[in-house]
Amino acid sequence: MTGAVWGVARNDLAVWLRSPAAIAAALLPALGMGVLVAVLTVSVGRQPVALVVQGEGRFAARMARLIRADTDAYLLEEMTAADAERALGDQRVAAIIVVPEDFDAGLARGNAVVDLYLNNVNIDIADDLRRAVTRSVAEFDAPQLGLLGELHGPSKGLLLPNPYRVAVAEHDLRETEVSFLQYQVIPIVVLIVISIGLLGTALLTARDFERGTAKMMVLSPAGRLPLVLGRLLGGTLITIALVAPLVGLGFLTHHIPYCAEESGAPLWVTMLLSGPCGWMLPIPPWRHGLALIALLAAVTLATVGLGTLLGVALRNARLVTMTALNGAAYLFFLGGGFTTVAFLPDWIQMVSRFVPTSYAINGLRQALFYPDLVGFGRDLLVLSACAALSVVLASLMLSRAWRRA
Amino acid sequence: MSVVRLFRASAALELAQLRGNRGFVALTALAAVSFLVMVSLFGLTGSYAPVALIDRDGGPYAQSFVEALLGAHHSFALKYMSADEAEAALLSGRLVGIITIPAGFSADIAQGTTVPIDVRIDNVNVDLTHDVQRALPAAIVAFGRKHKFPGVRVQMVEHDVLPRDTGYIPYLVVSALALDALVIAGVLGAMATAREWERRTVKLLRLSPASAGLVLAGKLVVAAAVAGGALGIAVLAIVLVYGVVPIAPWTTVFALGACVAIFTCLGAWLGALLKRTLAAVPLLFGLAMPFYVDSGALEPTRFDGEAIWMIAHLSPVYYAVGVLEWAFHGLHVTPEPVYVDLLVLLAFAVVAAALTLGRLSKGGGR
Repeated sequence: MTGAVWGVARNDLAVWLRSPAAIAAALLPALGMGVLVAVLTVSVGRQPVALVVQGEGRFAARMARLIRADTDAYLLEEMTAADAERALGDQRVAAIIVVPEDFDAGLARGNAVVDLYLNNVNIDIADDLRRAVTRSVAEFDAPQLGLLGELHGPSKGLLLPNPYRVAVAEHDLRETEVSFLQYQVIPIVVLIVISIGLLGTALLTARDFERGTAKMMVLSPAGRLPLVLGRLLGGTLITIALVAPLVGLGFLTHHIPYCAEESGAPLWVTMLLSGPCGWMLPIPPWRHGLALIALLAAVTLATVGLGTLLGVALRNARLVTMTALNGAAYLFFLGGGFTTVAFLPDWIQMVSRFVPTSYAINGLRQALFYPDLVGFGRDLLVLSACAALSVVLASLMLSRAWRRA
Repeated sequence: MSVVRLFRASAALELAQLRGNRGFVALTALAAVSFLVMVSLFGLTGSYAPVALIDRDGGPYAQSFVEALLGAHHSFALKYMSADEAEAALLSGRLVGIITIPAGFSADIAQGTTVPIDVRIDNVNVDLTHDVQRALPAAIVAFGRKHKFPGVRVQMVEHDVLPRDTGYIPYLVVSALALDALVIAGVLGAMATAREWERRTVKLLRLSPASAGLVLAGKLVVAAAVAGGALGIAVLAIVLVYGVVPIAPWTTVFALGACVAIFTCLGAWLGALLKRTLAAVPLLFGLAMPFYVDSGALEPTRFDGEAIWMIAHLSPVYYAVGVLEWAFHGLHVTPEPVYVDLLVLLAFAVVAAALTLGRLSKGGGR
């Protein structure tokens, strides 16, 4: 029996690896999402802003220094008023911050202003800039409202009075911060597992019906159980064969030179390496590593079972491809890919509880980014139950379908 | 054979083929609506960070500060909960942070004392962390200004370029229409041509005395019409479900029609190039997301830097988003005028149609 199982699995693996279209079908959408995340990393956070300093007094200079210092918020370029206006019109900057000529005089009167000319094309970008400029301006009268004040002021026992009468004592939950890109790499890993497991197995199963090879398989002396197990093992091997190197690469990219933000590499090198550098997973402690493997194995089995069910149900490669692509996208987004489920309306959060990928993404983030494994048992239990259910159903359905083929 | 008869015959054949693939066509239309849903889910995470609020004071200034937090540029979705519940939610990633207003807050504020607000942040994601870090001073400034506390010498005065802000989701769903057009029209266009190789009819087509251009036109007109119908469902969803009504309806219709025609031609070329629907479909899905993001779909592309903006010019979605955002919201998201965006789209279509014809009429057949 083992020989038959292994034979079918090996054959499926060979067929799949000889099908560039199938590999492309499974990998391209997921990799497309990866590119999307990489581009999003550039888009989020800092906005291009022109700074026009018209005031020549020392307070105007101080205000300008405060704005320049907030490098986390702005991609700042100092310009003349005319150049800044042109840049705003050409969309080279999203806003102009003007420290006006009479800033020092206004300050002496107690009503100095900083002007913000804002391209409020949508509220996301507009609110980002409003928040950032408000903070920079507030820092003038209340230095502790700046980032350093939030992090190292009242929280460290150093409280300076300020005219707004409220200060922030920020306590961060963890030592290191995970970049937006790293945070979003986890759902991409899950999407790749879903795409390959689901689409790979579904295409193999549908192909058997389209080409009539299902009949030949049933006529073989091996019996149906080894064939079914072989198909499931084949799907699992296909997924592991493609996912394991990708996950391994995520740990190896730490060693790529020039990935560090302050590496001093030329811009073109940074851009060229932004993809591989973005594919960077933190190296977890061994217990978390085991948790990672267990979660990936459970998701793989669940998607392989689901893929088999899909192949049996549709028996048509085109339909299988479109259904799997649609299904993978829903599983991805509702599971927390590119979204933080806690941000979504209550009813979507409720739906998300029934989406197995949400447990996979939560569990993987917990294993890689958090110091403990809170909730890991529940995540693994749900995924294992889904895997068991889909494998059992797939075995039954495939066996029945082949009997009738 | 007359031109009209040939065109009609080719169109009828394509229609029959699509009828035979109803499931595939339905799933393609479903993909269009799916993109809208997904883009909306993404849009929802752009604001209103879930943050627990523990108010140990309960006085009037505490209440006023809470209002300032709620009004801080769509920053916080405050959730009232106990300290233990908040702690558990924060540790399991269900909250971005916990804000605690200390006991005696109102009394201290009334006396002119500066009060530190305790804020615990789950800094697992630097983007969310920055949002919270920037939003808190905005709330504090609003609080201080509301009560006209003395000592504030500088304030920001905002001058908006546009009369009103466009909501993030309304902005995103309109740009998602361009993505929909690319995927639906592209997939159907690709299927129309790839089928000729898959069924080995391309040789017959080449041997036929009929004009390949007319045959192709008949096929693509039907593919585009079906894609237009599917896109119409997405437009209806945007208008009826999202409540986003185009300010220029006829321009919208024209722009969408142009997008469908153009992306059908591009899809047809891709199908003729790859010769397999199964290869073209994932490629289109795979290209869709990067094209989408690097097209001004989330914000004007040039804000992301000159390099990304230059690369965006290679993507037809960039021009399509430029036209559609203008037609729906009156926004200019490309520095180029809208008519230039349209002309470039038309150029894309002409080149794609010419390349497809080239592939259909000579060489590379198997």
